Amino acid sequence: MALSAKSVAVGTELPPLTKPAITRETLKEYGPAAGDPNPIHIDDEFAKNAGYPGVFAHGMLSMGYLGEFLHKAAGGVANVRKFRARFAKLTWPGDVVTCKGVVTAVRDEGGTRLVDCDIWSETQNGERKVVGTATLALAN
Amino acid sequence: MPPSKDMIGRVLSTGSATVTADHVAGFAKALGDANPEYRTIAPPTYPIAFMTQAMSGGMETFLELGLNFMTLVHGEQEFEYVRPLEIGETLTLTGRIADVYEKQSGSGGTLDFVVLETEGKDAAEKPVFYSRNILISKRT
Repeated sequence: MALSAKSVAVGTELPPLTKPAITRETLKEYGPAAGDPNPIHIDDEFAKNAGYPGVFAHGMLSMGYLGEFLHKAAGGVANVRKFRARFAKLTWPGDVVTCKGVVTAVRDEGGTRLVDCDIWSETQNGERKVVGTATLALAN
Repeated sequence: MPPSKDMIGRVLSTGSATVTADHVAGFAKALGDANPEYRTIAPPTYPIAFMTQAMSGGMETFLELGLNFMTLVHGEQEFEYVRPLEIGETLTLTGRIADVYEKQSGSGGTLDFVVLETEGKDAAEKPVFYSRNILISKRT
């Protein structure tokens, strides 16, 4: 269910979105689809040589999940106006990502109700991985 | 050569590409986002895949920037949308270096930060989206 322009207020939580566990196959599919050639997401040896314990997920994969979460909360892709993410911590194969968010401001601009939100992705143990902000336009 | 302040303001690359149904469908599938809107428009984070395609990949760009590909990390990403990208339309992108700075890492090395700003315009020269991208690499 999308947020309602009438009842939205500071503190309203966006409906959370939990994605299936990330697998190596998820990463193998995302890289080429996004044009990201970095082997650090698919080749364990490469990742180890770069100083990581193994492959990790593309930050933009989690941001893509947040994009789905936002267009669902906003009631359509066109209602997502602004969207920012900082890749604070790495997400690993086996992690289950849940996207969450809370409204921080509500304002009206030219007949449109705009809501600012804090958003983040977190994994099964509650650790926040990708954190950011978004502005959604809600139809009155 | 590491990135330097002289690079600020430089137009990095321009290019144009067409938003195709197959490219959008592949990207949405890799995210596991079955939104029916994607028959006509693209997902919120699709510009990242589109920019890579239009600017023909990353490698040359990263070299041109003086970033170390082995340690390259995507630090932050921001999108601002005038409207969604539509399947079938051709967009022209212009990327410029908005900022270059460095920070000392916890382990005593130097981290190079490059901020890239990209604008996507439609055939009528009207802006469709803006992207702001922070790339970080460890200087070697």
